[in-house]
Amino acid sequence: MNETFLPHEFQYASAEHQSQTAISGMWLFLASEMLFFGVLFLSWIFCRHWNPVGFDVGGGQTEMILGTINSVLLLTSSATYTAGTRCIEAGNARGLIAFCVITALLGLTFLGVKFGLEWHGDLDKHLFPGPDFAIQGAARAGAQLFFVFYFVSTGLHGLHMVAGIGLVAWILWRARRGDFSAAYSTPVSVVGLYWSFVDMVWVVLYPLIYLVGRSP
Amino acid sequence: MNATALQDVPPPRETQESYLQDGFSLRSWLLTTDHKRIAILYLASITAFFFIGGSAAALVRYNLLVPQGMIHSAETYNRLFTMHGVVMVWFFLVPAVPVTLGNFVVPLMLGARDLAFPKLNLFSWYLFILGGIVVLYSLFTGGVDTGWTFYTPLTTAYSKGHVVATVVGIFIAGFSSIATGLNFIVTIHRLRAPGLTWFRLPVFLWSLYATSVILVLATPVLAMTLLLLAFERIFHIGVFDPAFGGDPLLFQHLFWFYSHPAVYIMILPGFGIVSEIIPAFSRKPLFGYSFVVWASIGIAVISFLVWGHHMFVAGTSLLSALVFSILSYMVAVPSAIKVFNWIGTMHKGYIHFDAPMLYALGFIGLFTMGGLTGLFVAALAADVHLTQTYFVVAHFHYVMVGGMVSAFFAGLHYWWPKITGRMYPEMWGRAGALTIFIGFHLTFFPQFILGYLGMPRRYHAYPPEFQVLNVLSSAGTTILAAGYLLPLAYLTWSLLRGERAPANPWEATGLEWKTPSPPPTHNFTVTPMVDSAPYSYPTPGSRHRHE
Amino acid sequence: MRNSILALLALLALLAVEIGVSFIPFNPTARPLILIPALVMLGVIVSAFMQVGRGPVTVRLFAAAGALWLLILLALGSLDPLTRVAYPIRARD
Repeated sequence: MNETFLPHEFQYASAEHQSQTAISGMWLFLASEMLFFGVLFLSWIFCRHWNPVGFDVGGGQTEMILGTINSVLLLTSSATYTAGTRCIEAGNARGLIAFCVITALLGLTFLGVKFGLEWHGDLDKHLFPGPDFAIQGAARAGAQLFFVFYFVSTGLHGLHMVAGIGLVAWILWRARRGDFSAAYSTPVSVVGLYWSFVDMVWVVLYPLIYLVGRSP
Repeated sequence: MNATALQDVPPPRETQESYLQDGFSLRSWLLTTDHKRIAILYLASITAFFFIGGSAAALVRYNLLVPQGMIHSAETYNRLFTMHGVVMVWFFLVPAVPVTLGNFVVPLMLGARDLAFPKLNLFSWYLFILGGIVVLYSLFTGGVDTGWTFYTPLTTAYSKGHVVATVVGIFIAGFSSIATGLNFIVTIHRLRAPGLTWFRLPVFLWSLYATSVILVLATPVLAMTLLLLAFERIFHIGVFDPAFGGDPLLFQHLFWFYSHPAVYIMILPGFGIVSEIIPAFSRKPLFGYSFVVWASIGIAVISFLVWGHHMFVAGTSLLSALVFSILSYMVAVPSAIKVFNWIGTMHKGYIHFDAPMLYALGFIGLFTMGGLTGLFVAALAADVHLTQTYFVVAHFHYVMVGGMVSAFFAGLHYWWPKITGRMYPEMWGRAGALTIFIGFHLTFFPQFILGYLGMPRRYHAYPPEFQVLNVLSSAGTTILAAGYLLPLAYLTWSLLRGERAPANPWEATGLEWKTPSPPPTHNFTVTPMVDSAPYSYPTPGSRHRHE
Repeated sequence: MRNSILALLALLALLAVEIGVSFIPFNPTARPLILIPALVMLGVIVSAFMQVGRGPVTVRLFAAAGALWLLILLALGSLDPLTRVAYPIRARD
């Protein structure tokens, strides 16, 4: 059997062994992240249960167009990064680089839309929880809790996006240095798992924020 | 199959140079990625935290010598028991066995050269230290008066202590836990030696695996909960405040979703240690190996289903309370199964009463008492009377201190020759074990009675009729303290003057005993192969041939 | 490459379904059912992009564990608020 020797750490039997271990490790980390965000989902359930009317009134104030644009951007970015991973697995480093650039740009656009446009608009409409909250009266408590959920969850998601874009940029930098090939692209896959996971969190947040409270 | 043959690593520069001699600079310790050195770094850290938390406990018991409280300020008393709880839970009990004995022994027991992610291991220590520094800063600049449970609205609206700083420190330390747990799970899956199949793994590894599942899946919930708590305190977001439509029980549900499984993080490694020691010092295979394994997994899973038993009088729905009560009874079953298995192992064995065995036997007795009293408080009706009294305090100290700390000392003494290359003085070891056992009972047994009689916990003063029992309990702490200081003294002594240890001083089974004491940095120069069941102690005349 | 495009088209279609379903007048208690298309989207991402089917068995084990434990948190955690009885407070004269 003719096999080029691939370097690996001393505690592993082969490069393949190490690579699969790294991927398993990232999946386990993502399992912990599921529980981390799960707290916010349970809080959503509690807050909506105790304040059903007000919570949905708050939900009706969200910017659905911007939210939907962001969903499309993020889903596309997951597809583009995956396409980049497939490229390098076939030995095409230039494809990986191009797709990394597109992914990072999509991510940055998401952040721009979310924080530059949407949050900006929400703050202008006095939807930030506090003394001058826009919705008063019986619905105030529920609507304010909705916006607490909204700002906390999109803020934390945004932080994860920033980390993700940083990781994609790191992959881009390493790819340009020629670190990856058909034989070795584990970091690319590992970052891809993280990136798609952040996408999954958004896929759950999107209906919780933009759709449930939007009664026709 | 995941276990593939490791390439043989060329032997180190000088044959059999131990990991302790592989570099003497501070840098070689602070930037090490060797799991054995990281275990030592952690051992020093948790020992320091143990004595800080223990000092707070000593002051608490000092205060309770007289009914009006020796420390006249209730506020100070509240800060003391909070400091005790926070430090002991997050900076001693949760990390102790996994990060010290676990880090050291896991790769050795697997026949591996290190954990799957050695740099992550070092990073986890730095996170632990950072979290510890933040918490200590907070505690020593005035502390917190809320109890380690941080219930709202005291924490979010009324407490004047350093709540945010304390929870930030715990938040950081939580990521250290997650990193350790992740490392262990991946390592146990992926770095087993050839022939070391799942059902040949020593129970200590199964126990750490189960512990790590809880570390990875429960700790993130605590992290987010503390974040929300901080936001509530600083920004008054209202998610826990009924005046804003929030629910204070949401905090309790989220907090206990982590903190109940957390107590299993503390005890499962102890079960694992005892499961190693009892066979070794009974010269018999572990009775019912697969039962013990499935019990460990069962505990890890069911532990996530019982958290509501901390909230029986908090205002949850009756249905939810009933469900949690039934599940709490169920979680006791696998623990009981283990106790029967240990006893079955000893039956017709040839028992040696060395210090590790004395500590392990102490564990079985103390843990069983603590566990049984847990059943009292798991009953809804009984808990209405017993909750928030000293009965609960005694219950959890029996399992945590009587159980867990005894198991930690058992393991420390058992693996001390492997870790340090020295034997501890056996007579002093036995004396320490007995002192702890006696001191422990004297300290905590009176508390069961006090709780039953109605003395509430977390009060700096109490009615005069409870004084005798309180004085007995406080007197017991002096003996317990002596019991803890003894090992500190003679183990330290043994580092310099202890007899040099052979590779396998206990003639125990397990791959860790096939390396020199202490092992070289890369553990194994030749990959070990495993072809037999664990605990294959040859006992003449034994009817229990394992596998 | 082709798989990524197909998966993306499926996801965008599911997004459209999700938005469409939200216009159906459910009563407020049933409205969280809008999350069903989202769950299918999660399945597509996990299989097509994250390739949960490829790789060692530990990948599927860890993914399933995360999902199961999340379910425990949400289900057992909701049991209390959903079954709590709000006893009426008697007004004092």
